[in-house]
Order: sequence, then structure tokens, then C-alpha cells
Amino acid sequence: MPTSNSRDQDKHNPPSIDRLIHEPARYTIMAYLYVVDSADFLFLVKQTELTWGNLSAHVGKLEAAGYVEIKKEFLGKKPHTVASLTQKGRLAFEAYRRGMKEVLNKLPSSR
Amino acid sequence: MRTDTELKAIQRKVYMSFFQDGVWDIFLGLFILAWGLSILTEAAYLPGISFLGIYFSIWGIKKWLTYPRIGYVRFTSTSRRRITARFLILGTVVLLLGLLAGVLFGIGTRPQWLVDYFPLIFNGMLAAIVCFAAYWARANRFYVHAALIFLGAVIHQWLGVKWELGFIGAGSIILLIGLGILIIFLRRYPRVAEEVKDANQ
Repeated sequence: MPTSNSRDQDKHNPPSIDRLIHEPARYTIMAYLYVVDSADFLFLVKQTELTWGNLSAHVGKLEAAGYVEIKKEFLGKKPHTVASLTQKGRLAFEAYRRGMKEVLNKLPSSR
Repeated sequence: MRTDTELKAIQRKVYMSFFQDGVWDIFLGLFILAWGLSILTEAAYLPGISFLGIYFSIWGIKKWLTYPRIGYVRFTSTSRRRITARFLILGTVVLLLGLLAGVLFGIGTRPQWLVDYFPLIFNGMLAAIVCFAAYWARANRFYVHAALIFLGAVIHQWLGVKWELGFIGAGSIILLIGLGILIIFLRRYPRVAEEVKDANQ
């Protein structure tokens, strides 16, 4: 049964907004992975300017939700970890962006 | 508001991150330098050999120098196809231009206007190719490189400086710009120790 607290939260968070993606660091990671096929952790650290620890934690959450897939690959002889968006993650990101646009478009004009 | 424009900006940032090492500038500088040296030494094969040699070594250099510093990204298949097609078009045009120059120099009788303005036409075509590359890659500094290449022919045409010296001068300046960018890149992005990466992946 929903508590009054969660009802309050629902009122302020429309159902179309995925709160997992709504976190700025995770949104940034997903945005970078959305425009590419895959990227390694070093690339994501340099582009997002997150620390290694932060990046690992956020990618871990996205992976647990099934939005991101982590693979170990070899670049030459060196192993490196590559992250990519899953189909589910790609669709969730698109839905999130549509939802955000809808919410912002519904806001009354300041004039 | 997070819009498509923002995603395009991210895409552009990702794409541009692979031009910040100066390797393509060095490639262009060496290629232009090779043109100058080929005219100077009359070794017509030099630009072709240098173009193919440098072009195929670039990917190795990137793997050894760039990826360990800024990481590795695989572009989407659509982007990869588009990039490959553009490289092929530019490469083919450069090779055709080389062949055209060879044929025009080889034929016995040439119209006077072609003889008079050949350096201007040739450098203008090379500069136009570099402009196309700058536009496609959205790398604005390549417009400066194009201007330098064209300037080489202009000073030959109107100041009487030898044509090959224009090439050598432009090539050297572009090469120095590339080396400067490479030094800044190496300082800004030190190689990340494998232990750091391993501990955090």
C-alpha cells in the first residue's frame, strides 16, 4: 500500500520520468553511451569527468537495471572493460528524454 | 532543457576528442612536405608513398599514443560507415589529383594558361580538399592549413618564390602546429597506469 510520503513523491515525479536516469551523473553516462556503440571506462572517465569510483558505482547501478552491458575485451594484447547501452537502456533513455520534454513543455510560461 | 542539440554536442565532443592529439595535422604536414621534396628532387613517387605510409601508420600511432590516454570508443555502425566513406572519397580525390598532375606534366604541349597558373590551380585544389576535410571533420584549424597550402602558390605566383619552397614552408608550419598540439595533448592526458584502470573496472 503506498504511504503518504510515496504519494507525495509520485505527485512531484511524473511516471514517465525514470528516476534512475534522472540522476545527472547517470544521465551523462547514458548520453555518452547513447551516441556511440561502446566505450571503455577510461574514455567515460575523461569525457564525464567523474572519478573512477563514482563512474564504477553509477555504471554498476545502470548494469543492475539492465540498461548497460559490461564486457571485457582485448585491445591488442591488453584487456579493457567496455560499456555499451543495451536495447532496454536505449529505449529507456529515449523514453526519459521524451518524458522530460513533455514535462517541461507543460510548464506555464513565465510571462 | 536537455534537447537533441545537447546530444549532438556530446556526439561532436566525442568525435572531436580524436582530433585533439594533432596526429592528423602531422600527417597533413608531412604529406605537403613530401610534395615539396618531390618537386625539389624530381622524385614523383614521394607524395604517393608518404600518403600511403603515413595513412596506414596513423591507426597504429592512435592505438599506441591516443587510446591509452583518452580511452577507446567504438562509433555506431552508421558513423563508422560515414567516416570510412569520407576517407575513401578524400583519399581517391588526392590520388586522382596526383595522377592528373603527373599526366599534365607528362604531355608535350600544354596550353599557356595551364603552364602559367598550374601551381595556383594545383594548390587551390589541394586546399579545397583540406577545406572539405575540415568541414566534414568539423576541425576548424584545418581551414588554416588549407589557407597555408594556397598561400604557398600565391607567393610563388606573385613574389617569384620557388613553388616547392611554398610546399615545404606550408608543410613545415602545419607539421609544427601538429607537433605543438601533440605536446599539449601528451601533457594534458598522461598515460593512465594499468593498475588504476584494473582496480576500478
